[in-house]
Amino acid sequence: MTSQYENISSDLLWECVRGNNAFLVKRRQAGGVQFSRDFLNLTNKHSRKYEGFVNERAIGLQPSPSASMTLTTKIAKNANRPAKAFQTATFSAATPARKAYRGIVNSTAKKGYRADLRAEAVARASAVKLSLRKKRENPKAKLRGRKRVEAEGKKGGALGEVLI
Amino acid sequence: MVASKKHVPIVKKHTARFNRHQSDRFKCVGASWRKPKGIDNRVRRRFKGQAAMPKIGYGSNKKTRHLMPSGHKAFLVHNTNDLDLLLMHNKTYAAEYVSTYDNHLPFRFTSLCSATTWEDPNSYDRISHSVSSRKRIEIVARAKQLGVKVTNGKAKITTES
Repeated sequence: MTSQYENISSDLLWECVRGNNAFLVKRRQAGGVQFSRDFLNLTNKHSRKYEGFVNERAIGLQPSPSASMTLTTKIAKNANRPAKAFQTATFSAATPARKAYRGIVNSTAKKGYRADLRAEAVARASAVKLSLRKKRENPKAKLRGRKRVEAEGKKGGALGEVLI
Repeated sequence: MVASKKHVPIVKKHTARFNRHQSDRFKCVGASWRKPKGIDNRVRRRFKGQAAMPKIGYGSNKKTRHLMPSGHKAFLVHNTNDLDLLLMHNKTYAAEYVSTYDNHLPFRFTSLCSATTWEDPNSYDRISHSVSSRKRIEIVARAKQLGVKVTNGKAKITTES
């Protein structure tokens, strides 16, 4: 039996897998949220528009260990050749954010490649960049009550007694 | 951690429980709500001074439904991969960790998704209660990096000194 993949449209695929698929994450909370682990999904939302694996063309932005960000796009004509189906570009951590946005938009939306995802692509690039930034340490919790008195008593000798 | 997206004030129209009619009079009548069906029932006929019956009008505004007081929605996480889903939603969702066997306390991780242009439900993460403290430390660190709020971020992590 030969499979005729050209007969399988994105819409058919979506109707088949929208209820359950490997990327789908369902929770009962918040009225039954559905997220997607698909790396070609810019918002991680489970929807026809954002799911990368059902669309012929899709954009993915992921933090990468070597560079700061990897942009992945699908090559529609290579859909049946998994090794050649994706094109990737990397942005180094030194690339300024705006330059990265410009690079992403120029290579996708401005070329007519998923122009509907322009805002999402920029937003995700921004979020990824923010998540790679070093975060400030949490301030140390202040001691309260007896613990504070004891700590100060140890440090300052008679101070503890004075406070009591 | 990112603050939640701005939202209209959360209004709870009826915070008291709806108890079943006459559950206060008979111990064999439980408190869980059952709609009175009797032909003469005064509660069913909504007489003055009778208990109020639940109805759809008590429902919360759609915009604030499922929101926690912080303005986030809860999202249960088991590992850091679950957290990464909230990268774009840290103003909407908060994480909670849940685990299945460690203990019986309900834990919550919610991720705050930073909603930008499209509508994001506010969410935060809650960690599943069976998640070990070793993994919780990883989750909390990753959540901080992603700007995701964790509702039960201190559970099983802090020690008595």
